Amino acid sequence: MSESAVLQAELKQPAWVVDRFVVITAFAGLALLGGLIWLETAPFMVALFAIGTALGMALYHGAFGFTAGWRNLVVKKRGAGMRAQLMLFGLSSLIMVPMLYSGQAGLVGAVAPVGTSLVVGSFMFGMGMQLGGGCGSGTLFTVGAGNIRMVVTLVFFVAGAVLGSIHLPWWLDQPGFDPVPLVNTFGVSGAIVVQLLGLGLIARWVNRVEHKAHGNIERNELLWKGQKHGVLRTLISGRWPFTWAILILAAGNALTLAISGAPWSVTFAFNVWGAKALEAVGVNMSQFEFWQWDYPAIALKDSLLTNVPSVMNFGVLLGAMLAAGLANRFNEASRNRPQRRPLLAAVVGGLLLGYGARLGFGCNIGALFSGISSASLHAWIWFASAFAGSMIGIRLRPWFRLPD
Amino acid sequence: MDKAYSRARILIILGVILALILVDHINSPTFAFNSGQGNVPTALTQRDESACAPCGAPCPSTRD
Repeated sequence: MSESAVLQAELKQPAWVVDRFVVITAFAGLALLGGLIWLETAPFMVALFAIGTALGMALYHGAFGFTAGWRNLVVKKRGAGMRAQLMLFGLSSLIMVPMLYSGQAGLVGAVAPVGTSLVVGSFMFGMGMQLGGGCGSGTLFTVGAGNIRMVVTLVFFVAGAVLGSIHLPWWLDQPGFDPVPLVNTFGVSGAIVVQLLGLGLIARWVNRVEHKAHGNIERNELLWKGQKHGVLRTLISGRWPFTWAILILAAGNALTLAISGAPWSVTFAFNVWGAKALEAVGVNMSQFEFWQWDYPAIALKDSLLTNVPSVMNFGVLLGAMLAAGLANRFNEASRNRPQRRPLLAAVVGGLLLGYGARLGFGCNIGALFSGISSASLHAWIWFASAFAGSMIGIRLRPWFRLPD
Repeated sequence: MDKAYSRARILIILGVILALILVDHINSPTFAFNSGQGNVPTALTQRDESACAPCGAPCPSTRD
């Protein structure tokens, strides 16, 4: 082959292949469900469904996994994913804390009690993340992208969440105290500064770990560098630099707060799905204290289409499916039949995720991302405790034959 | 390249999920409200702002 032919072959971009069946099916699902929500509920629910879809696409195209980010730091001593998460928390804190505490009526932050339930729950959740293969958002977007092992994780996530809802009242009776909004101590500006300082200190530690191990710090994943394709093609079929995902996720959470009155949450929907399934087979969930509290009781009784976390989760699932179709990678992770031990890890991890999320007042989205965006102390305790649990989960992964 | 999935299986799974959502909705207060039965409390008209956590949990200080 001549030199010019070799050069031409190198310059020629690979063909842009889209999985038409998956893309058309995802669009059909979005149109059907969106139409149903429009007809039967209210226009603001359609907006939340659309935001969920955008978030699902951003999570998939940005490969924005909290679990892998934490594991990469611990195992490979690489901090790009962790830095992206810290940047996301900082940006959303700057946007949402002033929104929440500006005195506008009807906005409620993701604040929660601090105590035994929170510490135990978030620790269990952290372990579950590494065994189950994803967190709340990670499980959803990988299921949407057709990952069969993650479907198993999701099923047991739901089961664990229902069990956690039955036990939560007992855990709430253990030592603990009422929510601590940092704004009450430091004021709005002070709370933002304190949080940014905290995030900065963690980022400094992450950089130090990476620099000590490798002598450099990876920054390409954050910025538009070394991309194989042009902007439009990357926007549609991925993979996005982390910065794009950060912007969409921060904007999505702020819009969710503005439209629904509360920040983005994922796992409460899993409680409702599981409880509805049990009611369908004759279990009376109202006998349990959790399901007598006002919000869970009415969520259980009413349609899933009126439950904000459920509607947004449907959007995330279909958004991730659409993104995987556009990237021509739907179901790619499940091309090989899952082995027994990784499947067992999905079962154990899913149960830990669900039970932990209920005790810890949410997952990496509802408790961590939305909690820090609401300047709530519980989010910081959740972060530390879940990271500690994650370290144990990482140590257990080899026994379950899970790769690093 | 061979697809890693079966088209029929994807359509069946999505169809079953949609059917479950529809059945759940048809048996809900919101559907009853939309069908002309007034004074039915629905999740769209109620949000518990007095709760202590996003899941609706009460504050530890209020527990016996």
